[in-house]
Amino acid sequence: MAVFHRPGTLGEACALMAERGDAMVYGGGTAVQILEKQGVLFASDLVDISGIPGLANIEETSSGVRIGPMTTLRAVETSPLVRRVTPLAARVYGHVANPRVRNTASVGGNLAHGDYRLDPPTALLVLDATVELTSSGGTRTVPLREFFVDFQRTAVRPGEIITAVEIPRQDEAAGSWFAKLSSLSANDWPCASAAALVTGGRRFGRVARRIRLGLGAVAPTPVFTQVEVAADAGADEAVDAARQAAEPLIDPIPDVRGGVAFKRHLALVAVEEAVRLSWEERSDARGFFRDRRRRR
Amino acid sequence: MPEDSFETGVAVGERWARTDGRAKVRGELLYAADQPARPCLDVAIHRSTWPHARLVSVDTTDARAMDGVVAVVTGADLHAVLGERMLTGPAFADQPCLAYDKVRYVGEPIAAVIGYGPAAVRRAAEEIDVAYADLEPIHDVDAAIAGTAFVHDELRPSAVFGDLRHLRGKKDTNVNYEYTLRHGNSGAAAETAAHTTSGDFWCPPTHHVPIELPFTAAWPEGDRIEVLSTTQTPSYVRQTLADLLDLPLNRVRVRCAPLGGSFGAKMYDRLEPLAAALAWTQRTAVRIAVTREEAFLLTTRHGAAVTGSMASDEAGDIVAAEADVRYDTGAYADVGPRITAKSGMIANGPYRIANATVRSRCVYTNKPSAGPFRGFGVPQVTWAHESLIDELARARDEDPAAFRRRNLLREGDVAVMGTTMHSADFISCLDAVTGAVGWDAPLEPAAGRLRRGRGVAVGIKAVLTPTISNATLQLNQDGSATLLISTVDMGQGSDTIMAQIAAEVLCLGEGQVRVVTADTDVTPYDTITAGSRSTYHTGNAVRLAAEKMRDRLIGLAAGRLSVETTDIKLTSDGVVSTQTQETLTVPDLLLGHFGARGTTLTTEADFATSWAPYDKETGRSPQVTEHWFAGAAAVQLIVDTATGRVHIEHLAVAGDVGRAINPALVEQQLTGAAVMGIGHALFDELVFDEGQITNGTLLDYQLPSIKDMPDRITPIVIQSPHRSGPFGAKGVGETAIIPLAPAISNAVRDAIGIRFTRLPLTPERIITALAEQHTEGGTA
Ligand SMILES: Cc1cc2nc3c(=O)[nH]c(=O)nc-3n(C[C@H](O)[C@H](O)[C@H](O)COP(=O)(O)OP(=O)(O)OC[C@H]3O[C@@H](n4cnc5c(N)ncnc54)[C@H](O)[C@@H]3O)c2cc1C
Repeated sequence: MAVFHRPGTLGEACALMAERGDAMVYGGGTAVQILEKQGVLFASDLVDISGIPGLANIEETSSGVRIGPMTTLRAVETSPLVRRVTPLAARVYGHVANPRVRNTASVGGNLAHGDYRLDPPTALLVLDATVELTSSGGTRTVPLREFFVDFQRTAVRPGEIITAVEIPRQDEAAGSWFAKLSSLSANDWPCASAAALVTGGRRFGRVARRIRLGLGAVAPTPVFTQVEVAADAGADEAVDAARQAAEPLIDPIPDVRGGVAFKRHLALVAVEEAVRLSWEERSDARGFFRDRRRRR
Repeated sequence: MPEDSFETGVAVGERWARTDGRAKVRGELLYAADQPARPCLDVAIHRSTWPHARLVSVDTTDARAMDGVVAVVTGADLHAVLGERMLTGPAFADQPCLAYDKVRYVGEPIAAVIGYGPAAVRRAAEEIDVAYADLEPIHDVDAAIAGTAFVHDELRPSAVFGDLRHLRGKKDTNVNYEYTLRHGNSGAAAETAAHTTSGDFWCPPTHHVPIELPFTAAWPEGDRIEVLSTTQTPSYVRQTLADLLDLPLNRVRVRCAPLGGSFGAKMYDRLEPLAAALAWTQRTAVRIAVTREEAFLLTTRHGAAVTGSMASDEAGDIVAAEADVRYDTGAYADVGPRITAKSGMIANGPYRIANATVRSRCVYTNKPSAGPFRGFGVPQVTWAHESLIDELARARDEDPAAFRRRNLLREGDVAVMGTTMHSADFISCLDAVTGAVGWDAPLEPAAGRLRRGRGVAVGIKAVLTPTISNATLQLNQDGSATLLISTVDMGQGSDTIMAQIAAEVLCLGEGQVRVVTADTDVTPYDTITAGSRSTYHTGNAVRLAAEKMRDRLIGLAAGRLSVETTDIKLTSDGVVSTQTQETLTVPDLLLGHFGARGTTLTTEADFATSWAPYDKETGRSPQVTEHWFAGAAAVQLIVDTATGRVHIEHLAVAGDVGRAINPALVEQQLTGAAVMGIGHALFDELVFDEGQITNGTLLDYQLPSIKDMPDRITPIVIQSPHRSGPFGAKGVGETAIIPLAPAISNAVRDAIGIRFTRLPLTPERIITALAEQHTEGGTA
């Protein structure tokens, strides 16, 4: 059994993480508890950071929002600030699991969990978020696009604690959508997911629009790509371009939720859905889609 | 018949609240594992990692030396003490509570560690070292029938079912039971038929996943053994443990608690033989609380293959039907042979069929044992016949509902297996569900990549016959009543409706009859709480006991008031003389009779059903069952041709319950079974790889979630009273699950033109089939 610690300051937490053999941060515990029950939790120490003041704040910054690691997924989803500054992020956090899990799981634990099927990374990749990591040796910042290094491996080094996630402000005129497709029960983990953000366009006098795509569950890590499409292109063209850009990144892991061919197919359906709806939202008189989004 | 055309009584037909509802939602109800028991040592089980292997050695040295370990017991240890008595099972004595000669599935218990605390015993169980000698594993029913490797060296029928005796000692087979039905000559009739459909159907094994996990505690109490267990079959367990330990029945006590769901998972031989054997041989109190992952290994629903066909003549009469059914019963027969016969005999469906043939076999494989599961094997054959008849209607260009309606069995018809139909109103069920989903209104096409379709299916099931129920009723001097029965409330609401039946006879109100939780030292014998049999069987025993009580009260009152018994009526005010209008309350009557407060007046009754065994040649019987369950489901749904997802817009289910003792509980049973059926239709299945379950956790095993619920669900109660049911009632627990999967599949067929023969209809199967349809236009 791992030893449980509840430090009162970040310094103490970092010290514990540095000193103990196989120390692990305990965030919301929704993933750690499952490992424990399955008998595959090999940590010597669990460092619960929920008692450290200030780690659950959401603040507006000059460039966007800064979210503390112990903020619950539910708090991000429902935060008026996040909804205003990065609506795509708020929407995607609202798609994780169910309210019970979202009320318990933390923003830091979610990313550090490192699963290839996680929902929030798809949006954070698209929005070019950064992760702040703190250890007894200091603080560093890792772009989310470099955070997921391999199957269930992240850039978090031994001794490091995620102390913030920073999300740049989402272009107000951007169109965005999140498509989460499950293959068994509707409430299951995704079998394929895609977040899309369409920026640029005529309003800024540019000729091209940029489609950014974050994909979940379709490869050993969450993956990111982007492509430019002429601003006067139709949605079909935009979808084709996005599918072409996404296709090489799709490298599904077969399991009870589907084989490679099916997951590949579903990944492209997710891309299509996310891109079509964000493209249309970008092109549309925005009111219609805003309404629709709220109703979902 | 509409619900309110019955005479209204004081209790039957009322929507009384569940007796345990309040305690359950407040978390106050004590389930078995929460019940006070004596301090028990914990048990962890070391399980086989091989599907089929000889046990070469089981080394427990390291485990014994670990902290907190009191004893480590192997199968060989128990076998040395208990001998062949160690083999238990309802049909075949083929289940060792710990394997001692060979292992027959991945997960089979080999040794038990007894000690202090779940963590300590679990750690020690991991230190047990087993050496195996590999045997050829059998993963598939058809390979098991054809192959030369055998799960059991010889068949060992248990003493319970007399009709299996001839199988004793049979060697070199994995088929432990075979039922055949021959009615006319289906082969010849099919040859001249105008339309024929056929198919190879498959239902995968599934797991019950009740919320409450299985639990058993056992301890010796002087020369007796006491057991507290999560079981639907306390009377069966008492007999099994008496046989296992060679004790008279009065030295075995099996206590229950209300179950937190079961669906057949907690029946017959689960944890009880092991717990009792450990407690008795080690002379210590033990508790076995399994994890969710272990629960998946304890029992499953039978996977079943059905090769079937159905043929009609030009006029649209069904002239022939055939079914070759293979139930995968896993490593132990459990109740598989019963399922094989009782479900096999209706494998052609509830139709008027001129010529029919069924061959139904129960087959051992190296998988966790399959046993009872809501529907007792019937949903698997219904999957085949309701798909076949749907295709047959389509081949004839006839509306699938109309074609069924024309051919369905009616009151007084003799079904193919020889028994007459009574109180099984298929037509009303079919009409109710099709009416509810607007079957005859044109289907509005769905937009874009979506396709809309409608489907319907009916289902038939025989109640398990013969069976026995007993009831003991105590009328307390204050006018309240205490009812002693061994029916186990597992959420179906039996404690509520049994109280309603007694209250109806005795003119008592809500809350005045309390049902005592099954305890074999206290409550009388009952075959099982399963197969939707309790309302009818236990209900009748309760009704009879209550009627005896009413007669005794009337007798006492006649004496007190010096009038004829025919002048006395029992009312909610007490006993009344119809001549003098003189009234005595029940408390006064009993106080006068006994001369003391707090006294009890006791009556008891038993109720048993009988059957006529199958004819050896034809498999037919004039009385194969006491009564029938009839049900139907209709569905309107949308298939997303891009994702393969099925979205149910409206699901209507109907069941003929004879008479609804409590309409609210009937609707809940219909709805609950339908939701479970949605899972079986769309994604609920146990996935095996080389005999190992690959999705045996709740992370991967999928159940319907709130988001899988239909937009609308309509439960419909059909009441065609049974002549000998209590107030006309029959059961309802399984009715709606039976036609559910084919109703959904038939609607998918309607939507996208593809006939599926394998369950479940996962998005992957649908997408793959759509791709094939695109290239060749075939079926899946
Ligand atoms: C039933 C269920 C369904 C789910 N479905 C989905 C889904 O649909 N989509 C989805 O995206 N996710 C899903 N999840 C996963 C869920 O999002 C994660 O379990 C959760 O986000 C983990 O957060 P936590 O705070 O509970 O982490 P914990 O369990 O506390 O920790 C998880 C990991 O992160 C590490 N960690 C925690 N906090 C930090 C930190 N600040 N710094 C460094 N390391 C840290 C821990 O050491 C551990 O390794 C599901 C989970 C469950 C239980």
